Amino acid sequence: MSITLTGTIERNHMGAGTWALVTDDGVTYEVHKGAAKDLLKSGQKVKVQGQVREDVMTFAMIGPVLEVKSFEVISSD
Amino acid sequence: MRRLFLLCLFLIGLSFALFNFKGLASKGDFESIVLDFRENVPASQISAQVQAIAQQYNVTPRLNSEFSKSDHVYIVKGDRKTLAALKKSQLAKSTEFIEPNYRYSAFEVPNDPDYSKQWNLRSIKVESAWDETKGSGVTVAVIDTGISIVPDLKDTKFVPGYDFVNDQVAAEDDSGHGTHVAGTIAQSTNNNYGVAGIAYEASLMPLKVLSSFGGGTVADIAEAIKFAADNNADVINLSLGGGGESQLLKEAVDYAYQKGVVVVAAAGNVNQNAASYPARFPHVIGVAALDATGEKAPYSNFGAGVDISAPGGAGRGAGGILQETIQPDTAEPVFVSFQGTSMAAPHVAGVAALVKAAGVEEPDQVLSVLKQSSLVIQDDALNYFGAGQIDAGAAVKLAMHGQISFKDFFRWLRDNGYLNPRFWIDGGAIALLPKMAMVLGSYLLAWVLRVYFPFTWSWSLFNGLVAGSSGLFFLRGFYIFDLPQWPFRVLGSSIPELGNAIAGSHALNPLFASVLIPLGLIALLLGHRSWKWFAIGSCLGVASCLVVSALVSPTVWGLGSGILAQIFLIANALLCYELAALATKGEQTA
Repeated sequence: MSITLTGTIERNHMGAGTWALVTDDGVTYEVHKGAAKDLLKSGQKVKVQGQVREDVMTFAMIGPVLEVKSFEVISSD
Repeated sequence: MRRLFLLCLFLIGLSFALFNFKGLASKGDFESIVLDFRENVPASQISAQVQAIAQQYNVTPRLNSEFSKSDHVYIVKGDRKTLAALKKSQLAKSTEFIEPNYRYSAFEVPNDPDYSKQWNLRSIKVESAWDETKGSGVTVAVIDTGISIVPDLKDTKFVPGYDFVNDQVAAEDDSGHGTHVAGTIAQSTNNNYGVAGIAYEASLMPLKVLSSFGGGTVADIAEAIKFAADNNADVINLSLGGGGESQLLKEAVDYAYQKGVVVVAAAGNVNQNAASYPARFPHVIGVAALDATGEKAPYSNFGAGVDISAPGGAGRGAGGILQETIQPDTAEPVFVSFQGTSMAAPHVAGVAALVKAAGVEEPDQVLSVLKQSSLVIQDDALNYFGAGQIDAGAAVKLAMHGQISFKDFFRWLRDNGYLNPRFWIDGGAIALLPKMAMVLGSYLLAWVLRVYFPFTWSWSLFNGLVAGSSGLFFLRGFYIFDLPQWPFRVLGSSIPELGNAIAGSHALNPLFASVLIPLGLIALLLGHRSWKWFAIGSCLGVASCLVVSALVSPTVWGLGSGILAQIFLIANALLCYELAALATKGEQTA
């Protein structure tokens, strides 16, 4: 099931560290591996289209795991 | 001829004992030397001599503390050479003694230089657990990003694992997370390098299910759990989680549980009410994280699924959990602090390994030991902490309780001198087997008593056990020219045998071989904190001696050596045991 979210990309320092998307309404998603380097910039505001991976677990455990299909940058920091 | 032979044995035994004593003394650790000047030496002479030492050895003698002045106790820095030189110098004549200033430590403190930064290990009281076990013989599977053998894991034991991400045997870490988690469990410790781990004599099984990015599929995780269970892992650590309830994963956990594996998982880092999967499955110990002050870590999940809490740290500085791991981009080893319930779970897995090593096998029992021994945190309405903060020392003590461990027994034999060669040489001169039975019997009685009324072994108790059961019985074999033998017989007799020791008879005196003397000792000594234990020990020792006598040589004055004497001895033995039980029980309620 595809979802569309807008929020800010953040580096999260849980465990060895991971990338997070914090949506405008305050929900934290963990960005799944394989996301483009251009997306993973701390402080960048983005609109992301993707899918929550129920079958994936992570060491960061900061929220649902979001597999990004496509994104557009709204504004960079 | 026989006397000469025994004298030779005595001398051999004595030299053995002296040799051993020297060996023990030279093991002590010291960096400074104590000088105790004689009280009658005038202060001016002392200060002159102190000056002289300062010049000759290039050291600065100082008073140990402001309270040392009246006793003239000075401390100088120095090693064995300085000690020997000082002892030979003129100075020795003005002192009462010159001796090494030995460093005593209550617990095993590892020599890892950065151990002092591991607040987390001290907060779970791991040092007192190390007195009993370091996890030897137990295998902990780390299902994570793999483990790289960084320098501070070089002395740690490994068993083969598997990399489920790349489908290969070698399960190297490419993230830094798994190596860090493994370090908390079993970082090489006492190796003069880096930091310490909890169960550092346990073996690690590296199982890689998470990619360098830190994620992995439930299919791989489930397979890894089954792999661990099939390859004799005792504990599984899962510093990972997610929101999906997977039937496959649940079945894998149940499979491991059926095989007696303790499964530990992190509660998750969303600060939400309810642990994530797999921590919230039944048969998984869900672990919440604490910060350095013992409060809930800000990120830690809480509520349903949290069974216990452990240090997870907060922030990546001094408040985090420090271990050696790798830099993900260069694979270079690095000491770094991480935070998360990922860091809390391996504390519990490590302590679970210690509990297993202490002899508790079943997962439910391990959990119950961990919960019962944890430090309860009051006013925990939202279940931030589960049963409380994990306490390694208390957990291992609870696990050991009620089990005759070889270590316990060995320690007891050693403490009582039974491992001394002199014991074996001289013991041969008298009836050894019944004596050994009496001593072992008294130990067993003390152990039975400890199961019902936990107490701490003490010197007084040991001495009581020996006095009551056997005395220093090897002394009975001593015959020295021109000396009466009876003092040796008395020293070598147990309390019940005292009545016939002076006369040298074999028949027991019914006044001594009864509950009367233990009763008297209890009545006299019950009020004293440590002598009371001597009295309790002697009750148990006498009980054991009487039982063995009843079975081996039941000869009592006036009662013959038949059934009457046996009933008398057994009845008194029971009374002695009851007496000890009552006295110990008093200790519990007091």
